[in-house]
Amino acid sequence: MDKLRVAVIGAGFIARVHIPSWKRIPGVELVSVVDIVEDKAKGYAEEFKIPAYYKDFREMLEKEDVDIVDICTPTYTHAEIAIESMKAGKHVLTEKPIALKMKDAREMIETAKKQGVKFMVAHCLRFWPEYVVIKRIVENGDIGEPRVARAYRQSGFPVWAPWHFDENKGGGVFLDMSIHDVDTLRWIIGDVEEVYARGGVLKEKKSTAYDYVHALLKFKNGAIAYVEGSWIQPEGYPFSTYMEIVGTKGALRVDNHETAAVKIWRPGQLPQDFTPNSEDAYYLEIKNFYEAVKYDKEPAVPGEEGLKTLEVVLAAVKSIREGKPVKLPLSEEVFA
Amino acid sequence: MAGKMRFGIISFAHIHAWSYARVLKELEEAELVAIYDDDPERLKEAAQKFNVKDIYSDYHALLKRDDIDAVIITSENAKHVDQAIAAAEAGKHMIVEKPIATTLEDADKMVNAAKKAGVKFQTAFVMRYHDATATIKQVLERGEIGEILVITTTNHGKYPDLWFGDPELAGGGSVMDHTVHTADLMRWYTKDEVEEVYAVSGKNIRDYLTVEDTGLISLKFKKGVIGSIDCSWSRPSTWPIWGDVWLGIIGTEGYIVVDAFRPNVDLVKEGERLQWVYFGSDCDKNMIADFIRVVREDEEPRASGWDGRQALEITLAAYKSIKENKVVKLPL
Repeated sequence: MDKLRVAVIGAGFIARVHIPSWKRIPGVELVSVVDIVEDKAKGYAEEFKIPAYYKDFREMLEKEDVDIVDICTPTYTHAEIAIESMKAGKHVLTEKPIALKMKDAREMIETAKKQGVKFMVAHCLRFWPEYVVIKRIVENGDIGEPRVARAYRQSGFPVWAPWHFDENKGGGVFLDMSIHDVDTLRWIIGDVEEVYARGGVLKEKKSTAYDYVHALLKFKNGAIAYVEGSWIQPEGYPFSTYMEIVGTKGALRVDNHETAAVKIWRPGQLPQDFTPNSEDAYYLEIKNFYEAVKYDKEPAVPGEEGLKTLEVVLAAVKSIREGKPVKLPLSEEVFA
Repeated sequence: MAGKMRFGIISFAHIHAWSYARVLKELEEAELVAIYDDDPERLKEAAQKFNVKDIYSDYHALLKRDDIDAVIITSENAKHVDQAIAAAEAGKHMIVEKPIATTLEDADKMVNAAKKAGVKFQTAFVMRYHDATATIKQVLERGEIGEILVITTTNHGKYPDLWFGDPELAGGGSVMDHTVHTADLMRWYTKDEVEEVYAVSGKNIRDYLTVEDTGLISLKFKKGVIGSIDCSWSRPSTWPIWGDVWLGIIGTEGYIVVDAFRPNVDLVKEGERLQWVYFGSDCDKNMIADFIRVVREDEEPRASGWDGRQALEITLAAYKSIKENKVVKLPL
């Protein structure tokens, strides 16, 4: 059987993670990489031995015979690229968040349906080992019904991707980073009905996008959660995550540093810790989408799920702007 | 005041009373003279455990004694008010367990009574006396992490049982029990007052309780610092330790984590669950030692009755927010 032909759009941080995963799958041929900065596309093509590179994704869609488009571009560009690609008959994997606007997300979902192509949002935590285990523990009933959860996700400001400074491009820390915890909690606990959040631009004054947000979520089933996203950690602070869920019959928690399998101290440098895994989340995510396309299955995170998660993080931004709790579903867009 | 400071303990209803009594036995400069309890069994048990001869079933009788300098009030939350006012009127200095009362009116009466009588009124905010949190107070004062931007806190616990699930005696559940400690630390660190409170509480972890056992609180201080408190009794009875006091403090130039009760030795007995055996700072001892110093040197307590009142106001604002599902402005 012929290999599935893949094009990666956007030659930035996340593409660097996705590309090696695509290359690991025997049934895939990575044929093209696209970036509006031509040198970046060219650089990735050379580094990863990808036969073709383009500056314009439309030109790529015209000239290349690809089956799958993997969108690794800034958030505000996802919708346009996804919809055009779907209209050209391509299956689409897009990075999270699905979009900045709910109407864009809905159009992406509808276009995929109309065109009969697979569409998945890359909520990678659904493949991340500790969260997969948490999901399994809760589904087993080991902690009873979830009642109260907490999640943190902390780092410095992502200055390496300057579009994050503009709230109309990236949406800020809650849209870009806490969306992981929100999606995971939704996946495990269920739908959210109300959101209150506090935060703003606390430290990175160049930014119009919020760099700190905490949110209190009320779930439909009566559970509550505290979700905190910080891009205001000091320079050199290691990326840190924490999640705990307490239910009627028990409690669980995981912290990425406490559970690290490897710690490295180098002279004069900050210590580094991590948990290597040859079947890492990005590989499993990409493999899942590949299999959805190849075997005509529903992908793990369909567009509808991406939209539901988007709505919760948008509600947090709305709550900060209005200074009061916000009920779901949202009646209007949050970003213009 | 020469020699030992002479103490009475009013009620062993609160579990902390047992630790304070231990401290009074350990401290050179203190003497536990008399105890009161309205539960005869508990009174007998405490008298035996701490070898106290003078026992009372009427706290007024204890307060009448001229040879008692100070009392520690560790009854059920709702009973503090009458006992504290009586103690003040009897001219006794006092330490009152947190929360100091269950209503603001009661708290105000207590603060005023102490003021009028000219006695010291210390709130048992032991967390101001824990060496971890006190050290961080110094670090913050020196500006080592710049200006404070955010303080995230948790005061998790197991369900303490006893009367803590009785809405009349306790005045509420986990929100009443566990909001004040870290609320007070935030006030202490920021030297500011809370302007705004929003809080949620969900379905209970323990469905047999009539009080809430979860709570999440979002705060804003007047000068803009953002805070949060998780005051849930969200630790199962088999958790290796009673709970935690955890703070993450984000500054303009740094980040601090305090996990005050993390210093523990792992202990597993064959066939039993993991236990954590604490080896950290003895904040109860620090608190009572400082109280004695403050009385002798005629200073203001590090955690005063007023601080107890302010933290209670934050708690009551959280209840109001939960009930009305609205952001609540302070003062109430």
